[in-house]
Amino acid sequence: MQSRFYASLLLISALILLALVSYAGLRELNPEWKTYQTEYKRLFQKNASSPDMKKKAEEYAVGVRQIYLKDLNKVDRCDICHAGLENPLMAKEKVPYKQHSGAYLKDHPITRFGCTICHLGQGNATNKKEAHAEGHETFWDFPILPLKHIQSSCTQCHDMDFLSKHGGEVVVEGKKLFDEKGCRGCHKLNGNGGSLGKALDGVGSQPIHYFPMRYVDGERTQPSWLKQHFDDPRKVVPESIMKVKMTSEEAEKLTTYILSIRTVDPPKAFRNFNYVPVVAKDGHALFNMYCVACHADGKLSAFDENLKGTIPAIENTAFLKNADNKFLEMVITEGRKGTPMTSWQKTSAGLSDVEIKNIVSYIAEQRTETGKPVSANLKAGDKEAGKEIFNIRCALCHGDKGQGGLGLNLSNQAVKKADDQYLFKTIRDGRTTTPMPPFGSDGLGLTDQQIVNVISYIKTF
Amino acid sequence: MSESIKSGIEQFKDNICGLKDSLTKSYLRAGIPTSDMSRSALMVNNFFLHIQGAKTHINTLRPTYTFGMGLIAFYLFLITSVSGALVMIFYNPSIENAYSTVKDLNYVVFAGRLMRNVHKWSGEGMIVFVLLHMARVLYTNSYKRGREFNWLIGIILLVLTFVLNLTGYMLPWDQLSYWALVIVSNIIQSPKELTDILGLTKFINIGGMQKEFFLAGTVPGAATLNRVYFLHIMLLPIIITTFIGVHFWRIRKDGGLTKPDNFTTSDNTDKGNLTMPVKTGGIFTTNKTYGLMTMSKGGSPAVDKDVENTVLSWPNLAIAEASVFILSLAAVIGYSLFVDAPLKEAANALIPENPAKAPWYFLGLQEMVSYSAFMGSIVIPSLSVLGLALIPYLDRDQRDAGIWFSGDAGKKVAIKTLIVGSVCLVGMLAFVVNFGWFRNWWPSIGQIWILLINPANLWLLFVCAWSIWIIKSTGSTRMGAIALFTMFLVSYLILTYVGTELRGPNWEFFWSKSQWPIH
Repeated sequence: MQSRFYASLLLISALILLALVSYAGLRELNPEWKTYQTEYKRLFQKNASSPDMKKKAEEYAVGVRQIYLKDLNKVDRCDICHAGLENPLMAKEKVPYKQHSGAYLKDHPITRFGCTICHLGQGNATNKKEAHAEGHETFWDFPILPLKHIQSSCTQCHDMDFLSKHGGEVVVEGKKLFDEKGCRGCHKLNGNGGSLGKALDGVGSQPIHYFPMRYVDGERTQPSWLKQHFDDPRKVVPESIMKVKMTSEEAEKLTTYILSIRTVDPPKAFRNFNYVPVVAKDGHALFNMYCVACHADGKLSAFDENLKGTIPAIENTAFLKNADNKFLEMVITEGRKGTPMTSWQKTSAGLSDVEIKNIVSYIAEQRTETGKPVSANLKAGDKEAGKEIFNIRCALCHGDKGQGGLGLNLSNQAVKKADDQYLFKTIRDGRTTTPMPPFGSDGLGLTDQQIVNVISYIKTF
Repeated sequence: MSESIKSGIEQFKDNICGLKDSLTKSYLRAGIPTSDMSRSALMVNNFFLHIQGAKTHINTLRPTYTFGMGLIAFYLFLITSVSGALVMIFYNPSIENAYSTVKDLNYVVFAGRLMRNVHKWSGEGMIVFVLLHMARVLYTNSYKRGREFNWLIGIILLVLTFVLNLTGYMLPWDQLSYWALVIVSNIIQSPKELTDILGLTKFINIGGMQKEFFLAGTVPGAATLNRVYFLHIMLLPIIITTFIGVHFWRIRKDGGLTKPDNFTTSDNTDKGNLTMPVKTGGIFTTNKTYGLMTMSKGGSPAVDKDVENTVLSWPNLAIAEASVFILSLAAVIGYSLFVDAPLKEAANALIPENPAKAPWYFLGLQEMVSYSAFMGSIVIPSLSVLGLALIPYLDRDQRDAGIWFSGDAGKKVAIKTLIVGSVCLVGMLAFVVNFGWFRNWWPSIGQIWILLINPANLWLLFVCAWSIWIIKSTGSTRMGAIALFTMFLVSYLILTYVGTELRGPNWEFFWSKSQWPIH
């Protein structure tokens, strides 16, 4: 009676629908975590020896689990697969059945802290791929933290002093590297540091999209980005001018520390800091913290490919004998405009006057002699005559407008403000160990008056 | 005497035994449909079925006439409504909880992911099938003879389908939602481009006011979510349900689906798929058309052959509709089982998506917005909708209703338009991609020139010119309608494809997503 076409369409569709709904039902009833919990139960029963434990293993019910974290106002469902986290019988089993290593859970009850506060990852997911959130297609900002960098989470609640004694060695060493490699020379953190590089505040909790992953090999995660960036900055960020020199292990440790610089604070009740008063560091430590990345040991001045300029040798005795402390302090405070050298005073790179003084006295330790006194009348300079000499003798290295090249940039505040005695001595005596030769009568034969003329011309830049 | 009077207990016993029959009878007033009479009564007496006639024309049941597309769109609406109600049980419309409740739906609610996928895909499927249904109605010349107004209601339903989908897209409060809100609010703001040019923005900023009205503020936030949620689950569903009711009511009032004037069963290619009418017997005489509710307007009531070519709606129409419903449901569930509805990172106002894209069905618009915001987002869409709406009024040629393409001539026009439209549009887009436009050539040019002369405007002019040329060369407004609509389809498809697949970061051209700079 009915049309055969529609009757068969109805029949076939109904069968397909039935099959699909059955498949959906089966899939819903057998999620990934059920396999893990079943296996966990089997292992639990196998490992249980006492009747008490045997009973417990028998009673273990396979089902949805979650830890509601009141203080954090979120849920972690990690134990839906990692079922044996708190079971000592599972100490020797494989992940995910294994008991949590160490005694961490004793001090950090899982019911209060959960898992993702340390391990990151997506706590509310119930399948491995999305819970660990590795890879961009999982669309989660904070993929699970590799175990080698796990200590970066400790600094959320503990200070370095505590961590150095209680199992936070890696991040403590990372912090030490951070202070000793001169990272703050270019990177600001809490308002202290130069501004050539990006400020590092909160870098450890920046979502993955802040890190351009184009040139990162292997896993495209924040830790790999940081590690490879420390190994070779220009491989990851081609236009980078970052100077870095460290071994692969050091890079790993530094990565751990950088990942610990987070902006998201855990609840106040979790934090366990011993606040120590900040004391001004000694000159050497400060030099390492802020200066060493560019100036290294300060003995040699060399042209730097990435900074496109010559970095002056500030611990060179030839320099120090003519530069007095007042001059050094002025340069550090004001910086040298037109060069990567920034102003380090409180209002820009954030160093206190005491800290600058400490750095100056550290640098001054290398001063072994002072230069010959100046006899010429420094006020009687002739700019036009000076220009003639400059164009012939100086412009080759310093540029015809003093903009610098092989030699230093002369058109900046530091040179303008430098006292004439210092400039005179520098031109007269040169800089041994640098390309700057002595131009005085003992050297390339400029008279004192000619040098004075050149100085008056330089001051016009 | 004792035989005829049963005791109370016996009556009760009989009632229990006869429960099945009495329930059936109370539900089906005319009893189980065994005769033509009771079959007709079933259709007329049932609240849900009575909007359809007791008899249905064979042509209506031809699978290759309608392809069931309007019906599928309606069933997808039903599916999306029911699954939407289920999703609503778990969803919390606040910016603190929206994202995590959607995640919970994916992770811990039984079949929650499936539920959400079904809701999403049936909703987006509606767009596809509403458009296909519209194409069917146009190409079979079915917007004529009293159906002009129903075409207008269909256009309203198309717009409502878009807006419902869009508002739903914004609810999970992930990066897609957030940046789609930003994009859409900027599109809404685009009259500012015009007022800026005229220097009126400081006096009356229409675009800005529209944007603030939509966002309930200047940036997407808690109030926006509340507003969009209200639109999505309450206001728009009420409106679309009403209009669907009117749409169906008018189909009936306008005399059912169109059919060719000279329809005969003998030349029917789908003959094998249909039940041929029984000409003798039954309750209907052959010389009378019955409109059980009212006489249909338009067609003449006393045409013998009309009734000759009808069959009883129960079970012929009922089984056809049931099979299409089950097919739609199976297809949606099947698709939803294997393709997840997208859900990206939680909304973050500090990390713009690049490219920030509207949902796919608006990417054709976004492509035009990239030429000129005001033209691409306001003027051209409005003109397109207006142009589509006016088709039945501008083409009043009443011949050849109910015939695909109105015969071979229409088919030729459609194919010709398809080819010319595709080639010209792709050519124009290729030109724009390779050589840029005014802003690239003369960076300081006034915005007014770009607003007036940009690829989108030129294309609109071309489409109009082409349609008028077709009218002129074929001497038929019907051919013009076919040309215009084909151009609309071609433009929508190609622009949407370009916007979806070929536009990458900074709206630059890429052959495929794999060439995007990896982030």
